Amino acid sequence: MGSPALVLFLAFYLYPALQNLQFATRRWDGISEPENVGFRNFTNLLTNDDLFYKTLGNNIEFTFLVVIFQTALALLFAVYLVKNTKTTIALRTLYFFPTILSSVSVGMIWLFLYDPNFGALNLFFKSVGLPSFALNWLGSETSALYAIAFTQVWFHTGQMMVVYIAGLQQIPKELYEAAEVDGASRWKQFTKITWPMAMPTTLVVMAYTTVQSFRAFDLIMVMTNSTAGPNNATSIFSTLVFFTLFNELRLGYAAAQTIFMVLTLVLITWLQRRAFGKRYEK
Amino acid sequence: MMKTQGDKSFSARRVGAVAAVAFAIVATMLPSAFAAGEVLGKACKLAGVSTGTLSTSLTCKADSKGKLTWQKVRLGQSFGTPIAEITPPKGSIEFWHYRPEDKAYFTKIISDYEAKYPGTKIVQVVKTTTDYNATARVQILANNEAALFASARGSIFNDFVKSGLTADLTNERFVKRNLVAKGISAGVIGGKVLGVPYHYLFNNPVYNTELWAKEKWTIPTNLTGWVSWCKDAKAKGYVPLAWPGATRGQAAQISNSALMNSAASYDALSDNLADLNSGKIDLTSTWFKGVADIYVKLRNAGCFPENPTGVTEAAAYNLFATGKSPILPIGTFAMGSIKALNPALTGKMQLMSMVLTDGKVVAEGIMNNTFNLSVNAKSTPGDQRIAKSFLSYLATGAVGAYYANSTTQHVNVLDVDYSANVDLLNTSSFQAKNTMLAPRFLLLNTSVSDLTQDALIQIVGGKSPDDVLPDFSKQIKQKLAG
Repeated sequence: MGSPALVLFLAFYLYPALQNLQFATRRWDGISEPENVGFRNFTNLLTNDDLFYKTLGNNIEFTFLVVIFQTALALLFAVYLVKNTKTTIALRTLYFFPTILSSVSVGMIWLFLYDPNFGALNLFFKSVGLPSFALNWLGSETSALYAIAFTQVWFHTGQMMVVYIAGLQQIPKELYEAAEVDGASRWKQFTKITWPMAMPTTLVVMAYTTVQSFRAFDLIMVMTNSTAGPNNATSIFSTLVFFTLFNELRLGYAAAQTIFMVLTLVLITWLQRRAFGKRYEK
Repeated sequence: MMKTQGDKSFSARRVGAVAAVAFAIVATMLPSAFAAGEVLGKACKLAGVSTGTLSTSLTCKADSKGKLTWQKVRLGQSFGTPIAEITPPKGSIEFWHYRPEDKAYFTKIISDYEAKYPGTKIVQVVKTTTDYNATARVQILANNEAALFASARGSIFNDFVKSGLTADLTNERFVKRNLVAKGISAGVIGGKVLGVPYHYLFNNPVYNTELWAKEKWTIPTNLTGWVSWCKDAKAKGYVPLAWPGATRGQAAQISNSALMNSAASYDALSDNLADLNSGKIDLTSTWFKGVADIYVKLRNAGCFPENPTGVTEAAAYNLFATGKSPILPIGTFAMGSIKALNPALTGKMQLMSMVLTDGKVVAEGIMNNTFNLSVNAKSTPGDQRIAKSFLSYLATGAVGAYYANSTTQHVNVLDVDYSANVDLLNTSSFQAKNTMLAPRFLLLNTSVSDLTQDALIQIVGGKSPDDVLPDFSKQIKQKLAG
């Protein structure tokens, strides 16, 4: 029964992964003959590539911000919209709406909103007497990553909210009724019932959001006009690999970068499970 | 046939004089193309300058006495007149390119071609530039049907050449007789014509002639003049240069102007850029610090928009199209988009020289030849013959004129009449200038090129060259080491 699935796994997952390992030991531009360089791509990445470390830092910061804020906001919206009424259903639709847009459209919308001279955001800040808040959002090294992280959160919070709502609706109502009888406040009900009971959903949401953050490639490409932002301020692994592969034609080096990308992703997911999973298992 | 200057016969002199007078009369009637006094036989100042790409165009050249005069000299590789296209065999090929905006015009050209040669079929395969640059080479390698394909000048074209995909077109008659010889060099590698650059662009600033006339400005002739002009334009409430710092490729256009007079000659500049490309020198070299200093002076004079590093191409176009900025420092290829945004600017745009030096002027402006069309060396001989036939068809004056006037794009074809497009006609006068092939594309290593431009963008953004240049030099060094 399992053999077709095993064949598919071997052909489409294991073989490409092993081939990627082989590529990572080559110096190859995709045109001339590949040259075997052993572990030089790895050592070069670790010892002589500032952009790699900058990308690693950016990716971790971006993921941290998005996971924290997206998860928190999704849970907040879900808690308030968990009951099925006409208003909550309408609001759920509204919050979910960005999810159905293409990432390119979202990127373009926010590119215009963030425009430092014509964008609605800065015009708003200036009109309400807060010109110091009117920043060069995507053109500045200090704000570009946060601006894109905010867009990513805006883009996907609705999707995660729906996942949370499905999870919260599974919590028995009797628990809340009993808590109310005991005089528990809304906050107490949240911390003692909702949060622990929603932990399985939280783990799923966090894992998915983490992966999603690593794949924010299209949003970054659109919002930085196919660069990695000012002085690579928004370079994350997926953009780094793309530029190494297609701009620089360094297939072996790009393969080595993807290995670090996967290792980082695995490490973050493992840390998340270690931090929250054990509590859930108890 | 026009008589030469040295002809002693009376009738020949009379014919020559009549021709010169007639030319002078016609020249005064044209809007600007020949308004600089380029008259057959008259003295001129700068060798190599030409008045255009028609068979009747004049070139400034030393005569038998060594005096520089306007002479009727062929602009093609040979003295022969342009020829008709090669007759193709029957069959079908694919034509791959990266200009979706030209698809409709190519469809019309192909339709006319196919009607002329029944049984021969050209199928367009069009991709966006990003997609094309990333994937087309590999796809064409596996597809012999793609007998004719385009590539951008520089590293992309070089990659196609390295893949062995480009057939040698050096000895094709249409290459020698139908194309502007000066414009072919972008498709030449190792002395062989491996691509025919079809576009003839000017990567110089475009200015709003109405605003300039209203403000009674004259075009600055040196860096000090530019600094003064920027201050004046800013004081009058304009954004002097609608510079899109968020879009690297377009922001980089101005670097051509900064580079063109940064060294004593084009060869010296080429050597500097080659050294930068190979890592022999870095951005902290005295020469490049000089280039960076131009940016600092322009920045300090208020030439650039507020928050320059966040200004997108769309925002820059908007600044220019709405009259908030009198200069769009990009190039002729932006004029079509500007007219789409503000049709009232039709006929009110002109190119300008951007001389950013107070020293010796090596060149007055920038030209570029790109959209290199190559014949697939891996295609069958029959398909290659069709590809060459269609390429030679594109290189005829009438077809070139249709394409040029439809796309608002000068082409690298002789005997093209631009009169159907007033903006092309106006700006074609720039073909009479002493222009330099866009030097920034001499940085063939994409990483080096991108990081160099990013460093300059950071300087415009307000950072000090003392911080930026060592930082980006280190990044370049690391890229080259990999």
